[in-house]
Amino acid sequence: MKEVKVEVIGPEPACVRCQTAKKVVETAAEKLKQTGLTIKIEKVNIISKDIVSRYGVLVSPAIAINGVVKVMGRVPSEDEIVRLMKEAVK
Amino acid sequence: MSEKAVRKIRTFLLMLFVFAVVGYLIYTRIMAYSLAPTLEPKDFSKFSWYEIPFQYLWDYFYHAWICLLFAFTAAGLVYEFIPKEAVTKYMGSGKVTGYAIGAGLAPFFTVCSCTMVPLFAGILYSGAGIGPAITFLLMAPAANILTILITGEFLSWEIAVVRIIVSLVTAVLAGVIISKTSWGKAIEKEHQISQNTKVSQQSIEIVKPPLDERLLSALRFGGYLAKQILPYFVVGLIVVGYATAYIPPEIVEGYLTGITGVFLASIIGGPLYTPTLVEIMLGRSLLQLGMSKAALLSWLMGQPYDIPNMTAVSKIVRWKVVLTYAFIAWICSVSFGLLYGLIIGSL
Repeated sequence: MKEVKVEVIGPEPACVRCQTAKKVVETAAEKLKQTGLTIKIEKVNIISKDIVSRYGVLVSPAIAINGVVKVMGRVPSEDEIVRLMKEAVK
Repeated sequence: MSEKAVRKIRTFLLMLFVFAVVGYLIYTRIMAYSLAPTLEPKDFSKFSWYEIPFQYLWDYFYHAWICLLFAFTAAGLVYEFIPKEAVTKYMGSGKVTGYAIGAGLAPFFTVCSCTMVPLFAGILYSGAGIGPAITFLLMAPAANILTILITGEFLSWEIAVVRIIVSLVTAVLAGVIISKTSWGKAIEKEHQISQNTKVSQQSIEIVKPPLDERLLSALRFGGYLAKQILPYFVVGLIVVGYATAYIPPEIVEGYLTGITGVFLASIIGGPLYTPTLVEIMLGRSLLQLGMSKAALLSWLMGQPYDIPNMTAVSKIVRWKVVLTYAFIAWICSVSFGLLYGLIIGSL
Protein backbone atom coordinates (compact mmCIF):
# COMPACT_ATOMS: atom_id res chain seq x y z
CA MET A 1 0.00 0.00 0.00
CA LYS A 2 1.19 3.46 -0.84
CA GLU A 3 1.43 6.16 1.78
CA VAL A 4 1.25 9.92 1.55
CA LYS A 5 2.20 12.20 4.42
CA VAL A 6 0.62 15.63 4.36
CA GLU A 7 1.69 18.37 6.72
CA VAL A 8 -0.48 21.42 7.12
CA ILE A 9 1.82 24.12 8.45
CA GLY A 10 0.43 27.09 10.34
CA PRO A 11 0.71 28.97 13.60
CA GLU A 12 -0.60 27.71 16.95
CA PRO A 13 -3.41 28.42 17.65
CA ALA A 14 -4.37 27.88 14.03
CA CYS A 15 -5.42 30.94 12.06
CA VAL A 16 -8.70 30.87 10.14
CA ARG A 17 -7.07 30.31 6.78
CA CYS A 18 -4.99 27.44 8.14
CA GLN A 19 -8.11 25.77 9.46
CA THR A 20 -9.69 26.10 6.04
CA ALA A 21 -6.58 24.63 4.44
CA LYS A 22 -6.72 21.68 6.81
CA LYS A 23 -10.37 21.05 6.02
CA VAL A 24 -9.65 21.09 2.29
CA VAL A 25 -6.86 18.56 2.80
CA GLU A 26 -9.12 16.34 4.90
CA THR A 27 -11.92 16.25 2.32
CA ALA A 28 -9.42 15.59 -0.44
CA ALA A 29 -7.93 12.73 1.60
CA GLU A 30 -11.40 11.28 2.19
CA LYS A 31 -11.88 11.13 -1.57
CA LEU A 32 -8.56 9.44 -2.21
CA LYS A 33 -8.97 6.83 0.51
CA GLN A 34 -11.32 4.89 -1.72
CA THR A 35 -8.53 4.44 -4.24
CA GLY A 36 -6.47 2.59 -1.65
CA LEU A 37 -4.05 5.29 -0.61
CA THR A 38 -3.04 5.70 3.02
CA ILE A 39 -2.97 9.36 3.88
CA LYS A 40 -1.53 10.75 7.06
CA ILE A 41 -2.48 14.31 7.86
CA GLU A 42 -0.59 16.28 10.43
CA LYS A 43 -1.06 19.83 11.65
CA VAL A 44 2.34 21.25 12.53
CA ASN A 45 3.41 24.48 14.14
CA ILE A 46 5.05 26.91 11.72
CA ILE A 47 7.25 28.42 14.41
CA SER A 48 8.62 25.15 15.77
CA LYS A 49 12.35 24.67 15.40
CA ASP A 50 11.85 21.43 13.56
CA ILE A 51 9.82 23.06 10.80
CA VAL A 52 12.12 26.06 10.42
CA SER A 53 15.19 23.84 10.21
CA ARG A 54 13.58 21.60 7.61
CA TYR A 55 11.80 24.18 5.45
CA GLY A 56 13.16 27.61 6.41
CA VAL A 57 10.94 30.66 6.68
CA LEU A 58 7.41 29.97 5.49
CA VAL A 59 4.27 31.98 4.96
CA SER A 60 1.20 30.40 6.51
CA PRO A 61 -0.82 28.39 5.56
CA ALA A 62 1.67 26.06 3.90
CA ILE A 63 1.19 22.46 2.84
CA ALA A 64 3.99 19.92 2.51
CA ILE A 65 3.47 16.57 0.86
CA ASN A 66 5.97 13.82 1.66
CA GLY A 67 8.37 16.37 3.05
CA VAL A 68 8.20 18.85 0.17
CA VAL A 69 6.46 22.21 0.53
CA LYS A 70 4.07 22.50 -2.38
CA VAL A 71 1.76 25.29 -1.31
CA MET A 72 2.61 28.44 0.60
CA GLY A 73 0.52 31.37 1.76
CA ARG A 74 -2.77 30.36 0.18
CA VAL A 75 -5.65 27.98 0.52
CA PRO A 76 -5.60 25.54 -2.40
CA SER A 77 -8.64 23.98 -4.02
CA GLU A 78 -9.65 20.41 -3.27
CA ASP A 79 -8.91 19.25 -6.82
CA GLU A 80 -5.43 20.67 -6.61
CA ILE A 81 -4.69 18.76 -3.40
CA VAL A 82 -6.02 15.54 -4.90
CA ARG A 83 -3.78 16.09 -7.91
CA LEU A 84 -0.73 16.80 -5.75
CA MET A 85 -1.29 13.72 -3.62
CA LYS A 86 -1.66 11.54 -6.69
CA GLU A 87 1.56 12.95 -8.12
CA ALA A 88 3.35 12.20 -4.88
CA VAL A 89 2.76 8.46 -5.13
CA LYS A 90 3.51 8.13 -8.81
CA MET B 1 -17.37 23.53 -23.12
CA SER B 2 -13.78 22.45 -22.66
CA GLU B 3 -11.99 23.13 -19.40
CA LYS B 4 -9.58 25.43 -21.17
CA ALA B 5 -12.36 27.65 -22.46
CA VAL B 6 -13.97 27.84 -19.02
CA ARG B 7 -10.66 28.90 -17.53
CA LYS B 8 -10.18 31.55 -20.20
CA ILE B 9 -13.61 33.00 -19.55
CA ARG B 10 -13.08 32.99 -15.82
CA THR B 11 -9.70 34.68 -16.18
CA PHE B 12 -11.27 37.28 -18.43
CA LEU B 13 -14.12 38.04 -16.00
CA LEU B 14 -11.80 38.30 -13.02
CA MET B 15 -9.42 40.59 -14.91
CA LEU B 16 -12.41 42.67 -15.93
CA PHE B 17 -13.39 43.11 -12.30
CA VAL B 18 -9.85 44.14 -11.32
CA PHE B 19 -9.62 46.63 -14.19
CA ALA B 20 -13.07 48.01 -13.37
CA VAL B 21 -12.04 48.71 -9.78
CA VAL B 22 -8.74 50.29 -10.81
CA GLY B 23 -10.39 52.18 -13.66
CA TYR B 24 -13.11 53.63 -11.44
CA LEU B 25 -10.57 54.71 -8.85
CA ILE B 26 -8.54 56.49 -11.53
CA TYR B 27 -11.74 58.07 -12.86
CA THR B 28 -12.62 59.47 -9.44
CA ARG B 29 -9.10 60.87 -9.23
CA ILE B 30 -9.39 62.57 -12.61
CA MET B 31 -12.81 63.99 -11.76
CA ALA B 32 -11.41 64.97 -8.35
CA TYR B 33 -14.28 63.52 -6.35
CA SER B 34 -13.68 63.45 -2.64
CA LEU B 35 -12.95 59.94 -1.46
CA ALA B 36 -12.76 60.95 2.16
CA PRO B 37 -15.73 61.83 4.33
CA THR B 38 -16.86 65.42 3.79
CA LEU B 39 -18.45 66.20 7.15
CA GLU B 40 -16.59 68.83 9.12
CA PRO B 41 -16.56 68.75 12.93
CA LYS B 42 -18.93 71.74 13.02
CA ASP B 43 -21.52 69.86 10.90
CA PHE B 44 -22.03 67.39 13.70
CA SER B 45 -23.77 69.91 15.94
CA LYS B 46 -26.96 69.65 13.91
CA PHE B 47 -27.32 65.90 14.58
CA SER B 48 -28.75 64.40 17.74
CA TRP B 49 -26.64 61.79 19.49
CA TYR B 50 -28.27 58.73 17.89
CA GLU B 51 -27.94 60.15 14.41
CA ILE B 52 -24.20 60.61 14.59
CA PRO B 53 -23.09 57.02 13.86
CA PHE B 54 -25.45 56.72 10.88
CA GLN B 55 -24.58 60.09 9.45
CA TYR B 56 -20.87 59.50 9.84
CA LEU B 57 -20.90 55.93 8.49
CA TRP B 58 -23.06 56.97 5.53
CA ASP B 59 -20.81 59.91 4.80
CA TYR B 60 -17.80 57.63 5.11
CA PHE B 61 -18.87 54.69 3.00
CA TYR B 62 -20.61 56.84 0.39
CA HIS B 63 -17.29 58.46 -0.41
CA ALA B 64 -14.80 55.82 0.54
CA TRP B 65 -16.22 52.53 -0.74
CA ILE B 66 -14.20 52.58 -3.95
CA CYS B 67 -11.03 53.34 -2.08
CA LEU B 68 -11.63 50.51 0.40
CA LEU B 69 -12.58 48.12 -2.40
CA PHE B 70 -9.42 49.04 -4.24
CA ALA B 71 -7.29 48.71 -1.12
CA PHE B 72 -8.56 45.22 -0.31
CA THR B 73 -8.33 44.08 -3.95
CA ALA B 74 -4.79 45.40 -4.21
CA ALA B 75 -3.80 43.77 -0.93
CA GLY B 76 -5.13 40.42 -2.16
CA LEU B 77 -3.36 40.71 -5.50
CA VAL B 78 -0.03 41.76 -4.05
CA TYR B 79 -0.18 38.97 -1.51
CA GLU B 80 -0.95 36.38 -4.17
CA PHE B 81 1.51 37.45 -6.83
CA ILE B 82 4.54 38.47 -4.80
CA PRO B 83 7.06 35.63 -5.21
CA LYS B 84 6.85 34.50 -1.59
CA GLU B 85 9.31 31.64 -1.87
CA ALA B 86 12.02 33.89 -3.28
CA VAL B 87 11.49 36.42 -0.52
CA THR B 88 11.43 33.91 2.31
CA LYS B 89 14.48 32.14 0.94
CA TYR B 90 16.61 35.27 1.15
CA MET B 91 15.05 36.43 4.37
CA GLY B 92 16.92 33.88 6.41
CA SER B 93 20.18 34.09 4.53
CA GLY B 94 22.23 36.72 6.33
CA LYS B 95 22.34 39.93 8.28
CA VAL B 96 22.31 42.60 5.60
CA THR B 97 19.89 40.90 3.23
CA GLY B 98 17.81 40.04 6.26
CA TYR B 99 17.49 43.71 7.22
CA ALA B 100 16.78 44.77 3.66
CA ILE B 101 14.05 42.20 3.09
CA GLY B 102 12.61 42.46 6.58
CA ALA B 103 12.17 46.18 6.15
CA GLY B 104 11.52 46.50 2.44
CA LEU B 105 9.58 43.52 1.17
CA ALA B 106 8.10 41.50 3.97
CA PRO B 107 5.64 44.19 5.09
CA PHE B 108 3.92 43.98 1.72
CA PHE B 109 2.51 40.61 2.42
CA THR B 110 1.69 40.99 6.06
CA VAL B 111 -1.65 42.67 5.92
CA CYS B 112 -2.95 40.13 8.37
CA SER B 113 -1.67 39.51 11.85
CA CYS B 114 -1.82 35.74 11.38
CA THR B 115 1.16 35.90 9.02
CA MET B 116 3.05 38.46 11.04
CA VAL B 117 4.01 36.44 14.12
CA PRO B 118 5.02 33.29 12.16
CA LEU B 119 7.18 35.36 9.83
CA PHE B 120 8.72 37.12 12.79
CA ALA B 121 9.57 33.80 14.39
CA GLY B 122 10.80 32.40 11.07
CA ILE B 123 13.25 35.24 10.55
CA LEU B 124 14.43 34.91 14.14
CA TYR B 125 15.03 31.16 14.00
CA SER B 126 16.68 31.04 10.61
CA GLY B 127 20.01 32.64 9.82
CA ALA B 128 19.10 36.31 10.01
CA GLY B 129 18.56 36.55 13.76
CA ILE B 130 16.84 38.99 16.04
CA GLY B 131 17.78 42.31 14.42
CA PRO B 132 16.01 41.76 11.09
CA ALA B 133 13.11 40.11 12.91
CA ILE B 134 12.52 43.22 15.02
CA THR B 135 12.93 45.44 11.97
CA PHE B 136 10.28 43.46 10.17
CA LEU B 137 7.95 43.58 13.15
CA LEU B 138 8.16 47.34 13.50
CA MET B 139 7.93 47.95 9.77
CA ALA B 140 4.92 45.76 9.09
CA PRO B 141 2.13 47.92 10.54
CA ALA B 142 3.45 51.06 8.88
CA ALA B 143 4.29 49.73 5.46
CA ASN B 144 1.75 47.15 4.44
CA ILE B 145 -0.17 47.87 1.29
CA LEU B 146 -3.50 48.56 3.03
CA THR B 147 -2.08 51.10 5.46
CA ILE B 148 -0.14 52.92 2.74
CA LEU B 149 -3.18 53.24 0.48
CA ILE B 150 -5.56 54.32 3.22
CA THR B 151 -3.12 56.80 4.78
CA GLY B 152 -2.39 58.28 1.36
CA GLU B 153 -6.02 58.64 0.36
CA PHE B 154 -7.52 59.83 3.63
CA LEU B 155 -4.75 61.84 5.20
CA SER B 156 -2.26 62.86 2.57
CA TRP B 157 0.38 61.23 0.44
CA GLU B 158 2.95 63.45 2.08
CA ILE B 159 2.27 61.99 5.51
CA ALA B 160 2.10 58.47 4.04
CA VAL B 161 5.59 58.82 2.56
CA VAL B 162 6.97 60.46 5.70
CA ARG B 163 5.45 57.68 7.80
CA ILE B 164 7.21 55.02 5.72
CA ILE B 165 10.58 56.77 5.86
CA VAL B 166 10.56 57.43 9.61
CA SER B 167 9.23 53.95 10.33
CA LEU B 168 12.06 52.50 8.29
CA VAL B 169 14.67 54.43 10.23
CA THR B 170 13.05 53.49 13.53
CA ALA B 171 12.70 49.83 12.60
CA VAL B 172 16.30 49.42 11.46
CA LEU B 173 17.60 51.35 14.45
CA ALA B 174 15.61 49.24 16.92
CA GLY B 175 16.70 46.04 15.18
CA VAL B 176 20.39 46.97 15.26
CA ILE B 177 20.30 48.16 18.87
CA ILE B 178 18.49 45.06 20.14
CA SER B 179 20.83 42.71 18.31
CA LYS B 180 23.69 44.33 20.29
CA THR B 181 22.12 44.02 23.76
CA SER B 182 22.97 41.06 25.97
CA TRP B 183 19.34 40.00 26.37
CA GLY B 184 18.75 40.26 22.62
CA LYS B 185 21.77 38.05 21.98
CA ALA B 186 20.56 35.56 24.57
CA ILE B 187 17.22 35.14 22.78
CA GLU B 188 18.99 34.81 19.45
CA LYS B 189 21.28 32.10 20.77
CA GLU B 190 18.40 30.21 22.29
CA HIS B 191 16.49 30.12 19.01
CA GLN B 192 19.30 29.83 16.51
CA ILE B 193 19.24 26.64 14.55
CA SER B 194 22.65 25.10 14.13
CA GLN B 195 24.31 25.92 10.84
CA ASN B 196 24.76 22.37 9.59
CA THR B 197 21.05 21.81 9.14
CA LYS B 198 20.80 23.98 6.04
CA VAL B 199 17.46 23.81 4.32
CA SER B 200 17.85 21.61 1.29
CA GLN B 201 16.64 22.98 -2.00
CA GLN B 202 14.55 19.91 -2.65
CA SER B 203 12.30 20.51 0.32
CA ILE B 204 10.51 23.41 -1.32
CA GLU B 205 8.83 23.06 -4.65
CA ILE B 206 5.98 25.49 -4.95
CA VAL B 207 3.37 24.62 -7.53
CA LYS B 208 1.82 27.42 -9.54
CA PRO B 209 -1.89 27.02 -10.17
CA PRO B 210 -3.45 28.43 -13.37
CA LEU B 211 -4.04 32.18 -13.61
CA ASP B 212 -7.80 32.08 -13.06
CA GLU B 213 -7.37 30.21 -9.81
CA ARG B 214 -4.69 32.60 -8.65
CA LEU B 215 -6.87 35.61 -9.40
CA LEU B 216 -9.80 34.04 -7.63
CA SER B 217 -7.67 33.17 -4.64
CA ALA B 218 -6.30 36.74 -4.58
CA LEU B 219 -9.80 38.22 -4.53
CA ARG B 220 -10.90 35.71 -1.93
CA PHE B 221 -8.01 36.73 0.26
CA GLY B 222 -8.98 40.38 -0.18
CA GLY B 223 -12.52 39.46 0.87
CA TYR B 224 -11.21 37.54 3.82
CA LEU B 225 -9.21 40.55 4.94
CA ALA B 226 -12.23 42.78 4.58
CA LYS B 227 -14.26 40.40 6.70
CA GLN B 228 -11.55 40.42 9.36
CA ILE B 229 -10.95 44.13 9.43
CA LEU B 230 -14.23 45.83 8.53
CA PRO B 231 -16.30 44.96 11.63
CA TYR B 232 -13.68 46.54 13.91
CA PHE B 233 -13.31 49.31 11.41
CA VAL B 234 -17.04 50.15 11.58
CA VAL B 235 -17.00 50.14 15.39
CA GLY B 236 -13.90 52.31 15.26
CA LEU B 237 -15.60 54.71 12.86
CA ILE B 238 -18.58 55.08 15.19
CA VAL B 239 -16.20 56.03 17.97
CA VAL B 240 -14.46 58.44 15.61
CA GLY B 241 -17.87 59.94 14.76
CA TYR B 242 -18.63 60.62 18.42
CA ALA B 243 -15.13 61.84 19.10
CA THR B 244 -15.42 64.31 16.24
CA ALA B 245 -18.80 65.47 17.45
CA TYR B 246 -18.12 65.86 21.16
CA ILE B 247 -14.45 66.64 21.66
CA PRO B 248 -14.24 70.42 21.82
CA PRO B 249 -11.68 71.80 19.36
CA GLU B 250 -10.24 73.98 22.13
CA ILE B 251 -9.07 70.88 23.98
CA VAL B 252 -7.43 69.38 20.89
CA GLU B 253 -5.87 72.69 19.98
CA GLY B 254 -4.73 73.17 23.55
CA TYR B 255 -3.21 69.76 24.17
CA LEU B 256 -2.38 68.22 20.82
CA THR B 257 -0.22 70.98 19.44
CA GLY B 258 3.32 72.07 20.15
CA ILE B 259 5.85 69.98 22.02
CA THR B 260 3.31 68.72 24.56
CA GLY B 261 1.11 67.68 21.63
CA VAL B 262 3.80 65.45 20.20
CA PHE B 263 4.42 63.86 23.60
CA LEU B 264 0.76 63.27 24.31
CA ALA B 265 0.03 61.93 20.83
CA SER B 266 2.93 59.48 21.04
CA ILE B 267 1.69 58.21 24.38
CA ILE B 268 -2.00 57.80 23.55
CA GLY B 269 -1.22 56.52 20.05
CA GLY B 270 0.55 53.48 21.43
CA PRO B 271 -1.05 51.67 24.34
CA LEU B 272 -4.51 52.78 23.32
CA TYR B 273 -5.53 49.91 21.15
CA THR B 274 -6.82 51.03 17.82
CA PRO B 275 -7.76 48.30 15.36
CA THR B 276 -5.91 48.43 12.03
CA LEU B 277 -6.78 51.44 9.91
CA VAL B 278 -8.91 53.12 12.58
CA GLU B 279 -5.87 55.02 13.81
CA ILE B 280 -5.84 56.72 10.43
CA MET B 281 -9.46 57.86 10.65
CA LEU B 282 -9.13 58.96 14.26
CA GLY B 283 -5.96 60.82 13.30
CA ARG B 284 -7.90 62.53 10.52
CA SER B 285 -10.60 63.66 12.90
CA LEU B 286 -8.11 64.98 15.42
CA LEU B 287 -6.33 66.80 12.61
CA GLN B 288 -9.60 68.47 11.62
CA LEU B 289 -10.18 69.40 15.23
CA GLY B 290 -6.84 71.16 15.34
CA MET B 291 -4.10 68.64 16.12
CA SER B 292 -0.77 69.62 14.61
CA LYS B 293 0.71 67.58 11.75
CA ALA B 294 3.74 66.86 13.90
CA ALA B 295 1.54 65.30 16.58
CA LEU B 296 -0.30 63.35 13.85
CA LEU B 297 2.96 61.72 12.78
CA SER B 298 3.78 60.72 16.36
CA TRP B 299 0.25 59.42 16.71
CA LEU B 300 0.57 57.20 13.65
CA MET B 301 3.96 55.92 14.71
CA GLY B 302 2.49 54.65 17.97
CA GLN B 303 1.03 51.62 16.24
CA PRO B 304 3.89 49.09 16.63
CA TYR B 305 3.89 49.26 20.38
CA ASP B 306 0.24 48.71 21.06
CA ILE B 307 -0.54 46.17 23.72
CA PRO B 308 -1.99 43.14 21.81
CA ASN B 309 0.92 43.23 19.40
CA MET B 310 3.43 43.29 22.23
CA THR B 311 1.74 40.42 24.06
CA ALA B 312 1.86 38.12 21.03
CA VAL B 313 5.52 38.85 20.46
CA SER B 314 6.47 38.58 24.13
CA LYS B 315 5.60 34.88 24.00
CA ILE B 316 8.52 34.35 21.65
CA VAL B 317 11.11 36.87 22.79
CA ARG B 318 10.19 37.71 26.41
CA TRP B 319 9.25 41.07 27.84
CA LYS B 320 12.72 42.55 28.11
CA VAL B 321 13.15 42.64 24.34
CA VAL B 322 9.58 43.87 23.84
CA LEU B 323 10.04 46.74 26.28
CA THR B 324 13.35 47.67 24.68
CA TYR B 325 11.88 47.96 21.22
CA ALA B 326 8.77 49.73 22.54
CA PHE B 327 11.02 52.26 24.26
CA ILE B 328 13.13 52.82 21.14
CA ALA B 329 9.99 53.15 19.01
CA TRP B 330 8.56 55.67 21.45
CA ILE B 331 11.74 57.77 21.53
CA CYS B 332 11.76 57.78 17.73
CA SER B 333 8.08 58.66 17.57
CA VAL B 334 8.69 61.74 19.71
CA SER B 335 11.90 62.82 18.00
CA PHE B 336 10.59 62.38 14.46
CA GLY B 337 7.34 64.11 15.38
CA LEU B 338 9.28 67.11 16.66
CA LEU B 339 11.68 67.08 13.71
CA TYR B 340 8.83 66.87 11.20
CA GLY B 341 7.06 69.73 12.98
CA LEU B 342 10.19 71.88 12.80
CA ILE B 343 10.75 71.15 9.13
CA ILE B 344 7.21 71.88 7.95
CA GLY B 345 6.64 74.60 10.53
CA SER B 346 3.52 73.03 12.04
CA LEU B 347 4.33 72.12 15.59
